[in-house]
Amino acid sequence: MKKGKGIMTITIGIICFVLAYVMFMQFKVVEETNITQIESMRESELTEKLASWKGKYEEVETKLQDTKNTLQEYRDKRASNQEATELLNEELLQAQTIAGLTDVKGDGVVITYTDYEASEHDDKIQCYNLQELVNELILAGAEAISINGERITNLSDITNINIDDEIFILVNQKRVTSPYTIKAIGDAKYLESALTLKTVGFVTRHPNATIEKQNNMVINKYTGTIKIKYAKDVVKEEK
Amino acid sequence: MKIKKKEVAITLGLMCLLLAFGISMQLKTAKSLATTAGNSSHKEDRLRDEVLKWKEQYDSKYEELEKIEADLEKERKVSISSEDSSVEKQEELKKINTYLGLTDVTGEGITITLKDSTKSTLDPANGLVHNNDLLAVVNELKNTGAEAISINGQRIVPTTSINCVGAVIQVNDETVGSPFVIKAIGDPNRLNNVMRNGGYTELLQSAGINVEAKKSDNLKIDKYTGVLNKKTVEVAK
Repeated sequence: MKKGKGIMTITIGIICFVLAYVMFMQFKVVEETNITQIESMRESELTEKLASWKGKYEEVETKLQDTKNTLQEYRDKRASNQEATELLNEELLQAQTIAGLTDVKGDGVVITYTDYEASEHDDKIQCYNLQELVNELILAGAEAISINGERITNLSDITNINIDDEIFILVNQKRVTSPYTIKAIGDAKYLESALTLKTVGFVTRHPNATIEKQNNMVINKYTGTIKIKYAKDVVKEEK
Repeated sequence: MKIKKKEVAITLGLMCLLLAFGISMQLKTAKSLATTAGNSSHKEDRLRDEVLKWKEQYDSKYEELEKIEADLEKERKVSISSEDSSVEKQEELKKINTYLGLTDVTGEGITITLKDSTKSTLDPANGLVHNNDLLAVVNELKNTGAEAISINGQRIVPTTSINCVGAVIQVNDETVGSPFVIKAIGDPNRLNNVMRNGGYTELLQSAGINVEAKKSDNLKIDKYTGVLNKKTVEVAK
């Protein structure tokens, strides 16, 4: 009798253990698949995502090689007791170029966007229109953009101000007026086709905007200074 | 002896209850999963595997890059001369990287949350946050002195576009949804002007969108986990 009880307890114990184990395993699987949104995607989205990850992979690979080379160059200089100032200058120039702090040239498009003649107040071009245009150009891969000569940087603002019931637009806090000339450097062909896409392209939707490809144009640098006062870099602890 | 029996019975009962609870929870999750991924074809499954594989490869390469970048920063420090101009340049380089959104940052700031309206309206598009709304709010934050901005964890960098793809919004190619949590580091009092009367957020509120702003003295905004390259521009001399 006592022996039978013992066996029973052990059996129940084992069953419980197995059940719990299976449950945990399942929880894990469910958790893993839930992490990504990939589960719910359809074929076209997946194809797009795949291309996007492949592209990003290539970019990070290139960047990794470049960074490794720069690191090696610094090390070589130090080994041969040479000055590394030139290398630092080069790195700084690279960063400044990406940030819009240098004049740049390249192929791209010029968009001319003009207020309608004798327009009603509401029909006037507003900051939102220009924000939308800049957003579309970035999506189409523009690497440098300016509006009436004002370079768009990562923290540039495009706002309306209202003076005597008339709307004016400020870019980088400086007043710009119609006609607006928006220059963008990137893949000119792609930029043009993206902005003239049927029904959704910006130029298609705005009859008062025209687009033209242009080779070898110059976009001037941002003339303001960049200020970082409140944002503090998080310093990683050394392992 | 009798007490022991009771104890065993209670333990067993508790175990059964726990198991039953676990199983029923699982059934529920499995059900919701099945509705999303249930009728996918083999081709989709294969694509899904491919996407995950590339994403993993990307992540590991990016991790490698982070290590090399840390090494480079150390090397730079010991390599450059102690001349003032070199030290200054190094500081400038760091500042630009922060400006570009390539570093994790902390500081004072504001968190703005935009939530789709829960009330049903005749026009289903009304009361929803659109990509242009996010563009406008981000723009106002830049106008009021934001130094770092993110939307649902996606850092705003020079290549960031905020797009409407079908029924979803994408930032940095990643899907984001309501509630939209927009964090910005800067002078909190200036940033709070985004909530001023007659500002864009008031417009959103009148459209039924739930807008909340919260100042904070210790926000953290993650860096962009991608790479910024220049392929089509060169420096003009």
